[in-house]
Amino acid sequence: MENVIADRVQFSFTIMFHYLFPIVTMGLAPMIAGFQLRAARAGDGVADAAARFWTRIFALNFAAGVVTGIPMEFQFGTNWAPFAARAGSIVGQPLAMEAMFAFFGESVFLGAMLYGRGRLSPRMHAFAAVMVWLGAWLSGFFIIVSDAWMQHPVGYAVAGGGTIVLTDIGAVLLSPFAWWQFLHAITGAVVAGGFIVAGVGAFYLLANRDHAVARRFVRTGVVTAFVASLLVVFPTGDRNGANVTAYQPVKLAAMEGLFRSEHGAPLAIIGMPDTQHRRLIDPIEVPDVLSFLAYGNFNASVRGLDDYARADTPPVALTYYAYHVMVGLGTIFVGIAALGVLLLWLKRLEQARWLLWILMLAIPFPSIANEAGWVSAEVGRQPWIVYGLMRTADGASTNVVSGETIFTVAGFAGIYALLILLYVMVVLREVGNGPGAAPETDAPSATRGAEAGA
Amino acid sequence: MSVAAFCLLGVLLAGYVILDGYDLGMGTLLLFVSRDEDERRATLHSIAPFWNGNETWLVAAGAALFALFPQIYASAFSGFYLPFILVLWLLMGRGIAFEIREMIDHPMWHAFWDVVFAACSALLIVLLGVALGNIVRGVPIDRGLYFLGYFTVLLNPYALGVALLALLALAQHGAAYLLARVDGGPVVERSARALTRLFPLVCAGWVLLSAATVVMRGSSVGLPAFAAAGAAVALVSLAVLRLAAARRAGDTAFRASAAFLVGLLLSAAATTYPYLLPGYPDPRTGLDVFRYAPSPTSLRTALTFTIVGLVLLAVYRTVVAGRLTGRSVSGERP
Repeated sequence: MENVIADRVQFSFTIMFHYLFPIVTMGLAPMIAGFQLRAARAGDGVADAAARFWTRIFALNFAAGVVTGIPMEFQFGTNWAPFAARAGSIVGQPLAMEAMFAFFGESVFLGAMLYGRGRLSPRMHAFAAVMVWLGAWLSGFFIIVSDAWMQHPVGYAVAGGGTIVLTDIGAVLLSPFAWWQFLHAITGAVVAGGFIVAGVGAFYLLANRDHAVARRFVRTGVVTAFVASLLVVFPTGDRNGANVTAYQPVKLAAMEGLFRSEHGAPLAIIGMPDTQHRRLIDPIEVPDVLSFLAYGNFNASVRGLDDYARADTPPVALTYYAYHVMVGLGTIFVGIAALGVLLLWLKRLEQARWLLWILMLAIPFPSIANEAGWVSAEVGRQPWIVYGLMRTADGASTNVVSGETIFTVAGFAGIYALLILLYVMVVLREVGNGPGAAPETDAPSATRGAEAGA
Repeated sequence: MSVAAFCLLGVLLAGYVILDGYDLGMGTLLLFVSRDEDERRATLHSIAPFWNGNETWLVAAGAALFALFPQIYASAFSGFYLPFILVLWLLMGRGIAFEIREMIDHPMWHAFWDVVFAACSALLIVLLGVALGNIVRGVPIDRGLYFLGYFTVLLNPYALGVALLALLALAQHGAAYLLARVDGGPVVERSARALTRLFPLVCAGWVLLSAATVVMRGSSVGLPAFAAAGAAVALVSLAVLRLAAARRAGDTAFRASAAFLVGLLLSAAATTYPYLLPGYPDPRTGLDVFRYAPSPTSLRTALTFTIVGLVLLAVYRTVVAGRLTGRSVSGERP
């Protein structure tokens, strides 16, 4: 196997596995802070129980995120040494900032959240939850700044020997490409968080238990998911698309499965890309819409994949399918959440058992959509590791042989299989114990928090 | 400029060794200092709110190396490929063991994860010690600025010596931490005994290794004065540690042990300076902080936010962690 293939397999596997956990932490954090603030301000017992329950789930996710996150930091050096050497002066900065500003704060305040019940005042405790939320989002921001720079490099100069050096950190941190990507990813995570909270609430209602807390879960979850799923589409998805259209038109063509350049290009709703014959098989298309979405004009010309050299086009099928999975699921989420909000408003949601079932079974799908979105963004970036500046094939370590990487991929696979098994087991146990299982007094509840964290 | 960056990395690395060092040292000693479930809990819970933050220092140091000296980061991390991936797996194993052990309340479950935790902790010290030893000794870097650290290259007597001293010194550090943080009971007794028993071994290991370093690197020590100062700091700290341990003054013993580690790291840094990755057999074939210096913008940015970040951390900790630092009592579940 070629070195670079083994390295890409390892990176994509470890990052996709890792990202399962940040989706949930970034998605749950604002709702936990909301519950906690309400409990502190209004002395709302239901909100307090909700905060306690989700803090336990959050802590598990956070721990899994930490242990799977460190390999990401190391791999730039171990598997992508030439890339790290050339671009580290820029890509390394946000990663170091993440450690300094997000991780340090999160670790202190998560400790306060888990061990502070009864030792800290309720306001201080709620403040800790807000800081953990801030930390989780900041962490996502810095990582996405790194990625967005690889997608659309700014604020740099190329020095002697091809090294890319930082000239303007402000440009890197404030890059509109990064901000829209971040806002899109973060709202996507909140959709996941909303569906998780609503889905667990729906489970309790269906199982006829923990009614008060379950109602709160469903209400908060559905409303959060509804607002976030709209924001995912507009403005964040739209602006993200505009950036791809402007800076990475070949990625756009791959995502949409557009092989030939066309005036009034159609939008493919479904269809299978056939890279042999350069066409979509059995497409269902809406005429002219792609031109409109990309350029605001139904007659605009959109460049197709055949307009680019083969060496400069990304893998079409993977980019196309990942993008369509994301968009398709995103649309379905808007529909489910809108139905949920409507029935909540009519006070019929609790009787609509069919919708509760849908909400419960929907839990994993926002995570799939989030992952698919990243696949389309990153596979669509190929063959570049830094867009237009450095090719992925030139970024892989040459001194590490592919056999070594295959060995370590197998090792990661084994450890992650064990990890996901333990994670699912423990989360199901927490859900089974339920929010009511938390004792009312302060001291034992602190113990429960400690168990979740320790 | 380059000197400031070198010092910044030194501070972050020292922070990691001192902070996560006591977690790892405690892990190494876990099976010896605590026998039943209550004792295990008291021992483990003494680090519960902190270990994750402590581990962050390693991430911070790695990311700072990445941002400031990209070529050195790239050469070192790819060169130490397998050992570093093993470090990752062990970090995961340790974290998983710690987080999962109390999820099921059964003696077999606890026993299994305690052994995993202890083994991962001890092996982490050994691997990181081997890496440090090879960095002081130098690595066979080629003209392409890369090398491949096969185990036959990395497992040389000097690096193994460093690994052994690291194991002893951090076990001592962990024992001092437990003496300071656990309230009474058999755990404290056994930690104090461990401290007394480890002390002569640490002293002997330190003297032998210092001698070996002088023989091996004698003429090529970068900053002899600082290396000597590091040795002096280490010597004084050992003396203080001995006295504090005899009086069961946990806090003083812990601080002295931290100072000893700082002394060791100062000597190591002064030996390799100005190289972050010296060559072998000739250190001058390696990568130094001047030829591979960070760009001024990179350095200014990293220095600024590192200082702001560390100040913020200090503020957070005084605001929050101060209120959480109850002592860990046998039987109590914090």
